[in-house]
Amino acid sequence: MRTIQYFLLYFLIVVPVGIIGRLVHDPLHRKWRPTAESYWIPATAHKQAGRK
Amino acid sequence: MPDLVLGISAYYHDSAAALVEDGRPVAAAQEERFSRRRHDSSFPANAVRYCLDEAAVSLDEIAAIAYYEDPQLKFHRVLATVFGAAPRGFQSFRETLPNWLAPGGKLATTDTIRRELAALDRGRVPRIDVRQHHESHAMSAFAPSPYESAAVLCIDGVGEWATTTLWHGRDNQLEPVAELRFPHSLGLLYSAFTYFCGFKVDSGEYKLMGLAPYGKPRYADLIRTHLIDVKPDGSFRLDMRYFEYLRGQVMTGAAFEKLFGGPRRIPEQPLTKREFDLAASVQSVTDEVVLRLARTARARTGERRLCLAGGVALNCVANGKVVEAGIFDEVWIQPAAGDAGGALGAALAVSLERGAGRQHLGRGADAMAGSLLGPQFDDEAIGHYLTSHGIPHRRLDTRTLMTEVAEALATGKIVGWFQGRMEFGPRALGSRSILGDPRDLRMQSTMNQKIKFRESFRPFAPAVLAAEAKDYFDVRQESPYMLIVAPVAAAHQLEVDPTATAAGLELLRVHRSSIPAVTHVDYSARVQTVSPDRMPLFHQLLTAFKVRTGCPVLVNTSFNVRGEPIVCSPADAYTCFMRTDIDVLAIGNFLLEKADQPAWSEDSDWRKNIPLD
Repeated sequence: MRTIQYFLLYFLIVVPVGIIGRLVHDPLHRKWRPTAESYWIPATAHKQAGRK
Repeated sequence: MPDLVLGISAYYHDSAAALVEDGRPVAAAQEERFSRRRHDSSFPANAVRYCLDEAAVSLDEIAAIAYYEDPQLKFHRVLATVFGAAPRGFQSFRETLPNWLAPGGKLATTDTIRRELAALDRGRVPRIDVRQHHESHAMSAFAPSPYESAAVLCIDGVGEWATTTLWHGRDNQLEPVAELRFPHSLGLLYSAFTYFCGFKVDSGEYKLMGLAPYGKPRYADLIRTHLIDVKPDGSFRLDMRYFEYLRGQVMTGAAFEKLFGGPRRIPEQPLTKREFDLAASVQSVTDEVVLRLARTARARTGERRLCLAGGVALNCVANGKVVEAGIFDEVWIQPAAGDAGGALGAALAVSLERGAGRQHLGRGADAMAGSLLGPQFDDEAIGHYLTSHGIPHRRLDTRTLMTEVAEALATGKIVGWFQGRMEFGPRALGSRSILGDPRDLRMQSTMNQKIKFRESFRPFAPAVLAAEAKDYFDVRQESPYMLIVAPVAAAHQLEVDPTATAAGLELLRVHRSSIPAVTHVDYSARVQTVSPDRMPLFHQLLTAFKVRTGCPVLVNTSFNVRGEPIVCSPADAYTCFMRTDIDVLAIGNFLLEKADQPAWSEDSDWRKNIPLD
C-alpha cells in the first residue's frame, strides 16, 4: 500500500472508529479512578496460543 | 530418551535460544554474543546452532520449539493502540502496520521461525508452541528457582498486553493471579525518564539507575501527582497525556518537558543537576511501587518466597529494597530477567507441560547452574587460537595461574578473565569478566576511562566470597547473580567530613570505604556472592586474592567495552584485551601480558564501528 492509501485508511476509517469507539469504551483504560482501591485485573483462565 | 525443548525469543530485543532437557536448562545464549551486535533482535540462528551443538543433537531430536510471546495477541494490542491514539498517530500507524501485515511480517512470526529453523538445515522442524510473554517470564523465574512454592512477580515494559503480572507457583504449576495492562507500565515509565535524560531506551535504563544516587528525589512528588496514580496495593495507572509512546516513536513530548522545566537532554551532552534529580526521583517512585507490589504478592499468595523476572527485575536497587524490607524470607531473581530469559521460560513452560519435573528441588540449589549455560573453549581450543595467531602466552597449571593473577591484581593491574562457560543474562559473573582491586582509589576512573570507555559516573560492582559477604555488605541473603544492591557494611565505611559540600559528579572524589572502587556514592554496591559450587574457578581466584591481600572482594565488570556485547570467544577476548588498557589476560590456563604483545592495529577506527549504547 502506498502512503496515500494509508492516509485515507487512517483518516476515513481509523480516526472515526477510534473517536466514536472511545465515547463508549476506551480499550486502553486511560482514565484515573481516584476513589478506586485497586487497578488490578483478576486473571482469567490462562489461554494457550497452542501449537503451530 | 531425554525430552528436549528449544526455546526462542526474537524480533523485539535480546534474541536468544535456550535448550531444556527434562525440565532442566542445559544451554542458553543471547544472539548478540555471536553476531557482535548489541541487543541483536534478529532470529537467533547462531544461538540455536550453539544450543544444538552443546547437546550434540539435531532438530530431529527436539520434541518442540517454544516461542516466548503470542504475535496475534500482541497485534490485538497494537490495533487497540492505533484506534485508541487516533486522530493523532498517523506516522506511527504508517510505519507500524506494514511491519505486521506485510508478507513475512510480525503476524506471521511462527511461519518465519519455521522457515528460519528449516534454513539451518539441522533436521526436521518440530511443532512450534507459542507461550505468552509474561508466562514465559514467570516460568523463567519460578521453574529454575529453588522453591517448591512461591509468589512470582513479573514487571516489564510490555509483552502482548500485560505489563505487570502476579502468579502463584506451586510444584510444577503456575497459576495467574492478577495483572496490569498496557499502556500502564512501570518499565515504560522508567524508559520514559531514560529517554528524557538522554540515554538510549532499552539499554540505558541501568545507567539511569546508576545516576540516581548522585541526585535528590525532588521531582518524586510531581511524578506521583501528575504521571502515576499508585494504589496502596501497588497497582497503578499512568497519565498518558504526558507520554508519546502510544502514537509516536519517542517516549515523551511537550507536556513532559513542561512538567520538568525544559526539553530532554541531548544524548552525550553533559549531565546536569536536573538529570541527577530526575534519576533519583523516578528510582524513588519505582522502589515504592515495587515494594507495594511485593507486599501484595505476599498477601495474595501467602507465600514466604518471591521470584522475580521481567526487565524491571534488572533494577537491582528496587530488588535490594524488597530484600531489605523483609517482606519475604528469600527472593530469587532470574539472571536473564529480560526478554532473553523469555526463551528459557517458554521452553520450561512447554517442558513442564510435557511431564518434566523440577528435579533440582530439595537439593537447596536452583537449576541455573550458576547461569553458566553458554559456550566454553577448552585449553586445546584456546591454545590452538593463540599459537596459530602467534600470540605470546604462557601456559600454567591452575594453582600457579591463580597465584599469578592474584599477584597482578594486588599490584593494581587490571585483568581480563575468561574461564569456562559463558554467562546467560546481562551480568558477567566471573566467566567473562574484567577484574580489578577494589581497594584502589583510582580503579573506578581508570576502568571507566581506559578500559570500558564509558561515562565517568558509572559505578563498578563487587564480587565477594559468599562466606564473607556479610562482613563487607549488609546483605540479608545470597546474591549469586549480581541483581541485589546492598549497603557496604558499616565496618568498612569511612567517615566523610559532614561539612563537605560535594555534589553531583564531585561525589566521585569522596573516599567513602575501604573498597572505594565498588562503593557507589550512596555507599551502596551491587553485590555478587561467589560460592565454590556455582563458580569454582572464580571462587579459587577470590580466595587467592584474599590470601595475598586479606581482602575477599574484587571489582567484577563485564568483559567488553561500552556498546559491544560481552565477549564470547577467545578471539573476542583477545581483541578487547588489545583495544584497551587491560594489563593481563587470563584465558583458560593461559596467561598473556600486555607488555609482551605485538603492536595492535586495525583497518579502521573500531570505536566508530561500535554504536554507543
